[in-house]
Formats: sequence, C-alpha cells, structure tokens
Amino acid sequence: MSIAELEARELQLEPGGGGLWSDAWRRLRANPGAIVGFVLVGLFVVVALFAPLIAPEDPRTGDLSRLAGRCCPGPSAEHWFGVDQQGRDELSRIIYGARFSLLIGVVSVAVGLSIGMILGSIAGYVGGVLDSLIMRLMDVMLSIPGFLLAIGIVAMLGPGLFQIMIAVGATQIPIFARLLRGSILAQRENDFVLAARSIGVPRRTILASHILPNAISPVIVQGTLALATAIIDVAGLGYVGLGPQDPSTPEWGTMLTDTTRYLQTAPHLAIIPGIAIVISVLGFNLIGDGLREALDPKLRGRG
Amino acid sequence: MLRFVVRRLLLLVPILIGLSILVFLWIRALPGTPATALLGERATPAAVAAVREQYGLDDPVHEQYYAYVKTLSRLDFGDSITTRRPVLEEFQQRFPATIELALAAMLFSILLGIPLGFLAAKRHGGVLDHLSLVGSLLGISIPIFFLAIVLKYVFAVKLGLLPTVGRMSVLITIEHPTNFYVLDSLLAGDLEALWDVLKHLILPAVALGSIPLAIIARITRAAVLDVQNEDYVRTARAKGLSPSIVDRRHVLRNALLPITTIIGLQTGLLLSGAVLTESVFAYPGIGTWLLEAIEARNYPVLQGGILFVAIVFVLVNLLVDISYAFLNPRIRLS
Amino acid sequence: MKWHRLLPLLVVAMLAFAAGCGGDDDETTGGTTAAEETTEAAGGGTLVFAGASDPVVLDGALVSDGESIRVITQIFETLVALKPGTTEPEPGLATEWSANDDGTVWTFKIREGVTFHDGEPLNAEAVCFNFDRWYNFSGPLQNPSATYYWQVVFGGFATYNKDSGAPEESLYKSCEATDESTAVLTLTKPSATFIPALSQQAFSIASPKALQEFKADEGTVDEDGVFSPGGTFGTEQPIGTGAFKFVSWVRNDRLTLERNDDYWGEKAKVDTLIIRPIADNAARLQALQTGEIQGYDLVEPQDIETIKGDATLQIIDRPAFNVAYVGFNTALKPLDDPKVRQAIAYGLDRQSVVDNFYSGRAVVATQFMPPEVVGYADDVPTYEYDPEKAKQLLTEAGLTLPVPIEFWYPTDVSRPYMPDPKRNFEAFAASLNNSGFKVTAKSAPWNPDYLGQVSEGTTQLYLLGWTGDYGDADNFIGTFFQSPQKAWGTTTNPMTEIQKLLDDAEIETDEGERETLYQEANRQLMTYLPGVPYAHSQPALAFSSKVQGYVASPTTNESFATVTIEE
Repeated sequence: MSIAELEARELQLEPGGGGLWSDAWRRLRANPGAIVGFVLVGLFVVVALFAPLIAPEDPRTGDLSRLAGRCCPGPSAEHWFGVDQQGRDELSRIIYGARFSLLIGVVSVAVGLSIGMILGSIAGYVGGVLDSLIMRLMDVMLSIPGFLLAIGIVAMLGPGLFQIMIAVGATQIPIFARLLRGSILAQRENDFVLAARSIGVPRRTILASHILPNAISPVIVQGTLALATAIIDVAGLGYVGLGPQDPSTPEWGTMLTDTTRYLQTAPHLAIIPGIAIVISVLGFNLIGDGLREALDPKLRGRG
Repeated sequence: MLRFVVRRLLLLVPILIGLSILVFLWIRALPGTPATALLGERATPAAVAAVREQYGLDDPVHEQYYAYVKTLSRLDFGDSITTRRPVLEEFQQRFPATIELALAAMLFSILLGIPLGFLAAKRHGGVLDHLSLVGSLLGISIPIFFLAIVLKYVFAVKLGLLPTVGRMSVLITIEHPTNFYVLDSLLAGDLEALWDVLKHLILPAVALGSIPLAIIARITRAAVLDVQNEDYVRTARAKGLSPSIVDRRHVLRNALLPITTIIGLQTGLLLSGAVLTESVFAYPGIGTWLLEAIEARNYPVLQGGILFVAIVFVLVNLLVDISYAFLNPRIRLS
Repeated sequence: MKWHRLLPLLVVAMLAFAAGCGGDDDETTGGTTAAEETTEAAGGGTLVFAGASDPVVLDGALVSDGESIRVITQIFETLVALKPGTTEPEPGLATEWSANDDGTVWTFKIREGVTFHDGEPLNAEAVCFNFDRWYNFSGPLQNPSATYYWQVVFGGFATYNKDSGAPEESLYKSCEATDESTAVLTLTKPSATFIPALSQQAFSIASPKALQEFKADEGTVDEDGVFSPGGTFGTEQPIGTGAFKFVSWVRNDRLTLERNDDYWGEKAKVDTLIIRPIADNAARLQALQTGEIQGYDLVEPQDIETIKGDATLQIIDRPAFNVAYVGFNTALKPLDDPKVRQAIAYGLDRQSVVDNFYSGRAVVATQFMPPEVVGYADDVPTYEYDPEKAKQLLTEAGLTLPVPIEFWYPTDVSRPYMPDPKRNFEAFAASLNNSGFKVTAKSAPWNPDYLGQVSEGTTQLYLLGWTGDYGDADNFIGTFFQSPQKAWGTTTNPMTEIQKLLDDAEIETDEGERETLYQEANRQLMTYLPGVPYAHSQPALAFSSKVQGYVASPTTNESFATVTIEE
C-alpha cells in the first residue's frame, strides 16, 4: 500500500485538469508501454476467465506417486512446469492461480475504493467537523505502515481468502479518501465550477455533473495501480504465513511461499509463481502509468 | 511558517490518542492469549486460566485501557512476554538495526536513482531512458521478498560472496554503545568489523532499496523534464551559460524539490518492506520483532512497538511536510 | 538548500562505500567466512551452532522451551543423567541411588570432587538447597508457565495458592543432607517415574552461592503479570557444574560459552561454543552452506539429500523418539461414533505420507508411542488405507456421504515429527475426501492460536505430535490420556477404562506388571481410537564435515562436550 500511497501523493501534487477525456484515449493508444500493459493484463484476464478450458488438470488433485519419494520432479513433456510438493500439475495451478489473484485484487481494491471514495467525497464536499473527523481517522490509519496494518487486520480476523481481501482493501481506504477529497477541494475552486455556481446551478448537480467526473481521473489511475499493489501485498501476506486457509488453493503468493523450502531441490516451484506475480503486477503498473500520462494535462503534447 | 508547524504538531495529539485506542482495541481483538503462547504444547486449560488471571486479562476492558495509558504515561512499556526483558530495552536494540538498514537502502536508492533519472531525462526518448523506465517499472512490480530470496540464493548461497543472515559475524566481538553497528565498528576503530557489517548490509539494503530506487529514478526523470522546459532554464541557456552549469545550478537544484519530498515519503514503504526483508535475512530489526510478537501474542511488545513505529512514521511525515512547506512558499499560506 | 554543495559529499560517501564493497579479498582474514576463521582459532577451535530461536532464561527450573534447554544442558548437570544417545538413566551428579521398601525415601550418593564454575563445591547440602529452592517457589514462580516440569513431576509447592494454577498436593516432602555426600529425598507417596524424570534440565543443580548472590528468584511482576528476573542469575551468571561455562549473551545475536577446564569428567574438546538463533529452516541450511554456522538442528527431510550430496557437509541422525498423530475430539459429532473414527483411520493414507514426505526417515506408527518405549504392544488393531471400507463404515453409521468434517493444521512451525504440517495436511485431506468425507481446511499459527484451539477442544480433527521428555510410557500415553483433556473430548466423553489402566501403571513399581498394563492400554486405545498415530520419524541434524563426535540424544538434549573440529 505504501507504493500506492506514494503514487497518490504524487498524483495529488499535480493539479487535476478538466475536460481531457476526449484525447486521453488517443494518447493512451499511442503509448507503447500502455499497450504492452493491456496485452499482459488481457492475457491475465483471459487465462483467469477460461482457466477450466486451458488447464490440463484439476489444480487441487494430486498424485503422490508422481513424487517417487522426493521433491519435486521438474518440467517434463507431460508437466510443462513440473509437479508440486503434492504431486499436482504446476501449470494447472498457475493457470487457476490467475483467477485467485484477479479475484483478490479486484475485490480488495473495490473495498478500498468504494469506502475510501464515500469517505473522501463526504469529507471534501461537506467539510467542517465531519471532514476533520474522517481525515483524522484516515491519518491514524496512515500512521501505521500499510503492510503492518494488513498483517494486523488478518491477525485479528483470522486467516482466509475473504479476510485477506478485507485487510488489503482496508489499507487502501485512506489513500482513496485523501485522493478524492483533495481533488474535490481542487475542483471546487475551479473556474468552471465557480461559473456554474454563479449561474445558479444547484449544488448537487454541480457535484454530480461537474466535480466528480473531473475529480475521478486520478482515482482511475490510482485504482489501476492499487490493483498491482494489492496483488503484491497478498503475496507478502502469504509469505508471512497469512495466506488463504485451504492450502490447496492455487494462490500464487502462497504457492511461492510454500515452496521456498524446496528452493534447493526444486527451484522452479518458487520461481514460476514469482514470475507470474511479476508479470501481472507489471501489466497493471504499465496501464496505470499510461493512464496517468494520458490524463495528466501537464504531460500533454510531450512524447 | 511557525503557525503551520504548531498546527501540524497539534494535529499529532488526536492521531496519537486515536492510535493508542486503535492499538489497544486491536490487541484485545486478537484471537488467542499469551497464556497459550507461553505454555505451548504443554498448555492445560487450568494453566491457561491461571495465566489469564495473573495477566489481568479478565478485567473489564476500560480498566485494562486505563492501566495501559497509566503505564504509557510513565514511559513504561512493560516487559516482553517471551524474552522477559523491558520492551524499551529491546526497542533500543532493534530500532537502530532497522534504521541502519533503511538508511543503507535509502543511500543505495538515492545514489543510483538520482543519476539514473537525471541521465534518462537528459537522453529523453533514448535507449537509456526506455531502459530506466522499464527497469523502474520492473522494480516496483517484483514482490520484495521474492527479490530478497533470489538475491540471497544467488549471491550468498551459490556464489558465496556475501553472508545470508544477521547483522555481523558471530566471530567478531565489538562493543555496541549505539547499536548502530556501522557506527559501533567505527567507534571501535575496527575496520574488519566495519567491513563485516557492511557485507551483511548489502543484500538486505539492495532488496529493500529496489522500490525506492525505482520511484526516485522516475520522479527525478519527471522533475528534470519539467524543470528543463521552464523559462528560467531557457533564459540561462540563452545567456550562454555552459550546459553543465545550467544543469547544476538550475535544473537539478529545482528538480530536487519534488525529489526530496518523495524521498521523505519512502519511510512508510521502508518500514513495510523491512518486515519482509528482515524476515528473509533473519535480520534482528523492528520488522522481525513485531512479526514474532504478533505470532506469540506478545501484548507488551505489540502495544509499545507499534506505537513507537507509528510515532516515528508520523514524525518523519511531519518533517517532510514542514520541509516541503519550507521549500515551497505556495503551500505555507494554506 | 545548498544541494550542490552536498552533492560532492554524497559522491565521496558513495566512493567510500564502493571502496568498502570493492575487492579486498586478501584482507578478509576473519570476516564472515566463518568456516575458515574457526579453524584458525587456537586449540580446539570455535563451534557455531544455530538454534531456532533465542533462549529465554538460562535457569532450568524456570523454562520449558527447547532452545533454553539446549544451552542449559551445556552449563548445568542433573543428579541422574542419560546414557549418550539413549533414554537410559545413568549416574550424573549422583553416583548411585536407592529407595526404601515402599519407594518413598530415596538416598542419593553425590559425586565427590565436583566444583561449580564459581569454585563452590558440589555437596549434598548444595543439592538439597536446589530441591528446597524449587519446592519453596512462590508468587509468580508458581505459575505453570514458569515451573511446568516441577509441577508435572512433583506437583505443588510448600505454600499453596489456589490462584496460581499449581496443584495443591506435592510429591516432594523433604531433602536432607545426612553427610557431605549423601542426600536423602523423602516423597509423600511412591513414584515409578521419579528417577528418569530427574534427568530433565528442570532439575539442574546450580551453585547455591550464585543462586543467592545473583538473586535467581527475585523479580518484578508488572501490570501484565510478566515475571522478569530481577537478578542476573538466569541471564548473566548461570553457574553450574557442566562442561561449558557461560561467557556472554547478546540477545538475538549470539550466546557464547567456553570450555570448563576444571570439569570433573571428560573435558570439552572445543574452546568456544557459540549458539545463535536463526528462525527459518531454509535460512539455517543456507547459513551452513556459506559457513556462517557449522551445525543446526531440525533438518527438513527434503534437504537431507542436498546435504549428503555436499562433501563438506554431513547428516547426524537423532534416534526416533516421537509420534505424530491425527487427533480427534471424541466429544464432537460425528466423532463420538466409533464407526466414524474407524472410517477416518481407514481413510487416512498414512503410508503415502510417510513414504513421500519424510525422505525414507519415518515408519508408519501403529500406536501412540514409539517401539523403543517399554509398554509398546505388537498386537494392536491396525488400519490399512481402504477408502471403500471407510465409506461402508460411514454408511453403517447412518450418515449420508460425503460427511463434512473440519480438519485443522498449524502454520509457522516445523516439528521433528511433522516437518511440514501443511503438506501432511493436504495429503490427508485429499485421501479423506476420497473416503466419503468432505474436509473443510482450518489453520492457525502454531503458537498460541493453534495449540490454544486444540486444547480448548474446538477442533474436530487436528494434526499434532509429541517428542518424549524421558523414556517412559507415562510420558507418552500417560501425558495424553491419563487425565481428561478437552482436546480428546475426554472431559465430556471419558475413556474410563483406559484412564484406570494408566493410573494403575503410574504407581506400579513392578516393571513387568507395568509393561503389561501399558500394553493393554495401547491395545484398548487403538480399538477406541481417540486419534490416529501415523509416524515415528527420525529427525536429523546437519553439520560441517569438519565437526566430529556429536552424539544426538532421543530427547533432544545433548552435550557438545564430545565435539571436535578438524583443521
């Protein structure tokens, strides 16, 4: 989450511009990095959606006789990525793992984003005591380093897929809240808002049709980057032993962590999920980066 | 300016109060008790009940909180349940370790990140620029523990160049007046010890510094690009100043404003990353301390330790904000 | 902001750093390559051994964790010792002992010519001082977390405090030094387990002078009820009679011991013994490979081949003395039905787990104690993996398949009897799912969550095991089943007959009679099935091949005195 937080601050330093949707898409398409990002993420999503059709075997059912008493046979013609410590096909587990990473990433960002946005827009638009109260609470949350906060929440809720999503999502709440509040405050004083106000447009209409659409662009960028952070944080939680409860769950972070003890006899078991994590995270980071450049008025007209 | 600082300091008060309540409630919400932690495999229900009683765990929550605040106000954080030593004493030993590691990581990322970002911006659109962009994106896309494991396996186990665990070889003994081992070995004038400490720092620092490195390089590049097109830089160039002087006096100097901010903002990242890096390298810092404490339900360490970390984190953020305000007059008025 | 003035400084710093990192290999006379350096040390050299965590306190009476005990074993000795590599009692600080006819008065001959590390003589008075110290523990020291072993073997203390959790009755009555080398211990009732139990480090004899001078029993109790030693006995001045003397302890970094040149027996070979904590198994192996350490305990089975394949390293076997089992809470439905318990026994593919996950270093267990222990029965009922039979039993029990069942496993732990609990769990869960069950996976960090849940009786099926503290059936099935435990559900669903057998066996002084009683208990246990034992494993230690003479003990407490390091 700390990376996400940094990105958020980075975004906040740059004033959000208005009316840039028209050519943002054009600039995004011209960005080779973003295109690579879309390809990687597209691949990731396709694999996740069609896992049952692509995977050669059931990811949870193994055959211990494949181990022949040792751990663990490496890549072969039948098993491209080898078999894991339970005699399961590693390739099938990697393919199904895309599902879990995507699910965890999307749900946890959805949690952080929705709660954060609600709190942020209340704070930003209502202001006053409510603003102070919400923002102080956010400050308290931000005063604990994000990963520690996530560990703390999982330790409290107990291990499990759902608890992990909540924990990772919770660490992102203050980021989105601050971000949205900041851009609403900035938009409120913008010329077009002042103009709308002066010609008597109602406040709610101003918020809904003028402020939010313009304040939302940094949130979209942040959301994409937060997906990347969420996948990494989940893997990290797996590393400190707080992964999904059912160990047969093909989740990349846990797969990596569980097999670091076989690093010397079967390095592929740790390295393959590691690479899968890097590729998916890289995809979201590339898209987020492209979106940022496309939506940032200051970078307009520059390579 | 003074008003700004005072206001920010006052804001610390509600944060600290909120934090102490949050930490207290969180600890009470953790499943399991130190009783079972202490007794381990040999726990019997009767023994667990006895320990609960002794620890005051059956008192009403508000009384427990009152007792907690009372001890905090005396700067007494109690004793660690597992080691039976004062929390403050352990903190004094663990904290310098993490700071030393964080500083080494920072040094690594700054010394590599700023020149890299600067060069990338100067050769904007060139091969180096693209390489550094790809590299920095990769840097923030690799889980830090994965990088640490790979680094350790390659450089320590396979190549045998560097040690795998700890802060210094157990065969070297020096005094530790500060618990900053680099400083301690300098104070002792023991170069062999210094070299040994540095060797133990390299791999964890590189692993921990990878993400700040990527971010610093990116921000430097963006900031230099920004500044380069400013009017005063064009003017300086038009005046016929040599490119190196323009770079030094105008470009880099002004680009350093966002860079310093970003550097300051890495604290949280370093503290988060330290948990994972320290656990890969069995490095006795704050990260491993808190992780062990969570596992063992070591309440006193958690209560004290998390508060310490949060206070340090809040103070560093405050310093960053203040220095940013100091550097950027536009913010001062707000 | 004079950044441009700082830059050159940064550059200088960078250069200095780079120079530090640069190659000066020839200067590395004693840097971090521990293996090279230790051999350079004069005399017997230095052995660096890695433990899994830092010791707690170096006072045997007050700890029960393995890492404290490992160090205490080096510094202190007990009246009764174990023959190296076995669980057989032999003379320690007592050269002989005898009991009166009803087994309540025990006379110990104390070894002569032994001195503590502080120069004080060991005599009967010093021995009785130690026993009286333990018996008179009060306040926080009566807490079961501090004095577990005393309470298991001797029960209560001189003063009874019902809040302490310690029992009221005590087996101990008095200790009297009738002359310089004779200590007479009087018990309140006969005990058959008393002599082997005295070999535990909880009954280490310490220097009375040091115990008093360094205030072993003083300490403060803070608001959290944590006892912290006020004196320095357990942290800086642990003074015993052992082959090694304490030098220094830097917390979480290293604990240094040196040879006791005045030792009464065979003196230690190495000059210095350093024990350092490395929590992670893989990290210990890596540190051994880089030479940062020269030995560690609890080698994981899959690493054994790697170590054996490396000519500079070696494996030392620890005799098997443990049992791994799947425990049942027989008070919870459907486990109260014997047919369901049998179905699980048939549904667990124990052979595959033992064959594939223990690198050929384990045997399938048929009962709750290893074959080495007297009372082991060869003719207990056995249960081969048979999914069809399991399904049939479940149907007979009137249940609809698949039968849902919660199965718990611990995380963050590696025990000698289950090196990778998660892996065992996954294989068992898969075989149960094939046998008419539907397993719900539940996990918790080993300590305290997992152990807490199990002992509170909230877990239906759970993975657990035990390493013997001393060589007696009482320490296995006695510990598990003699008194009711929520973990087995025996508090609400008692195994009356088996408990009676165990009670009788504990006070039976005739060895043959005891064996028969324990064998019968084992047969009944495997019919009743409060759980399914599945493995006795042979743990291993790894050392640099330069290290010779290490004798591993089944109870995991061995002296480093016999170890030598080759040049």
